[in-house]
This record gives sequence, C-alpha cells and structure tokens, in this order.
Amino acid sequence: MSFQQKNITVSLVSFILILGFYSLRVIQMIGNESFTSGNVFWLWGIIIGLAVVVTIIGTILTHIVSAVIEVVRTGKDDPKIEDIEDERDQLIDLKGTKVTYTVYSLGVFAAMLTFVFGLQPLVMFSLLILAGLVAQIIGDVFRLVLYRRGF
Amino acid sequence: MGKSNISNNIRKLRFLNGEMTQEQLAEKVGVTRQTIIAIESAKYSPSLELAFRIARVFGVPLEEVFSYEAEDKTS
Repeated sequence: MSFQQKNITVSLVSFILILGFYSLRVIQMIGNESFTSGNVFWLWGIIIGLAVVVTIIGTILTHIVSAVIEVVRTGKDDPKIEDIEDERDQLIDLKGTKVTYTVYSLGVFAAMLTFVFGLQPLVMFSLLILAGLVAQIIGDVFRLVLYRRGF
Repeated sequence: MGKSNISNNIRKLRFLNGEMTQEQLAEKVGVTRQTIIAIESAKYSPSLELAFRIARVFGVPLEEVFSYEAEDKTS
C-alpha cells in the first residue's frame, strides 16, 4: 500500500467516525427535543474543527507510522518514505474530487428541496453538513477503488 | 476502469537492463514504485511524457516499450 493510499484510508476512517458522531448527536438532539439553531450551529463548529484537526493529525500519524514500518522493514536509521505525489496520484485525486463534488452537489440540491416541503432551515443546514461528510467518504472510497482496480 | 488497451514490455526491459528493480526505475523517471507496478500490470496508462522518460531510461524507442491494441468493435 502506497503512502497516498494509507493517507486516504486514514481520512476515510476519520470521516466515517466523524459522520457517526454527527449522526448520533443529531439523533440525540431530536430525541431530547433540543434540535435548536444554537445546538446545530455549535455542532457545525465541532464537526468542521474535528475535520480539520483529524485530517492534520491523520497525515502526521501516517508519516510517523510509515517511517516506523520502514525502519523495522529495512533496518535503516534514515527511512525513505515515498510520499511524493506523481501524475497517477494527482489523476486519482482529481477523479475522487470530481465524485466528491458531484455527491455534495446532489446533497445541496436535496437540502434546498427541504424548503420546498416547508421544513425548518435547521434541517437544510443539518443536511448540508451531512452531504459534505458523505461526499468526502464516497470520494475517498472511489480513490481507493481506483488505486486497487486501476483506470 | 481496469486493464487498458496499452500493453508494455517494461518487465522484460528491466530484466535486460541488469535486473533493474521497480524502485530504481521509479527513481529514474520520478514517480513512485506503485505507479511503475500499475503501469507494468496495465492498470494505468502513463502520460506521453512519462512514457518517453521510461523509454529513454532503457535507451529504446517508445514503440519498443509500449504497444496499443485497438478494441475490436465488430465482435
């Protein structure tokens, strides 16, 4: 598994966990009847903060773990990690980004539809962040599929 | 998605060039070893520039490294 694949896998796991946390909190809020604008925007902040922090920490951890594995495998003190992004990585990233944006666009469209059905703006905002998380997960899965199956 | 119509002789050329490793070839052309593996197994068709760089490493013309087999659309 290349460094880029490890990085995508870490991102995928992180975003699945964040999606789980988000879904759980929204379900709890609806159950407690605390699904208010204040709580939803507070959750928005937490999710965006988590996504940024987890992505940074994930990349750093992937570097450290890759270096440790390389030291154990080769026995050399100065491990060489293939973290360069070549044309194949860039192409896969672009294709993944295209899928992410397509899914997110559909999510935004679905969120806008909630206005048509006369639902609260809170529902739209909740769907927007849900669409963002789901789009990121689907994009990462698509990238991993491209790495595995080729294109 | 999957195998492309472009086949290659990279494995053979590596062997003929003193059993050059995938890692050595990757270093010479400036890509990762994973990309060389993907090209060798026809899971990725390289850009024209990368194809020329690979051919130059082996000192052979491009058509000796890569060949294109068009899909038979009549069958």
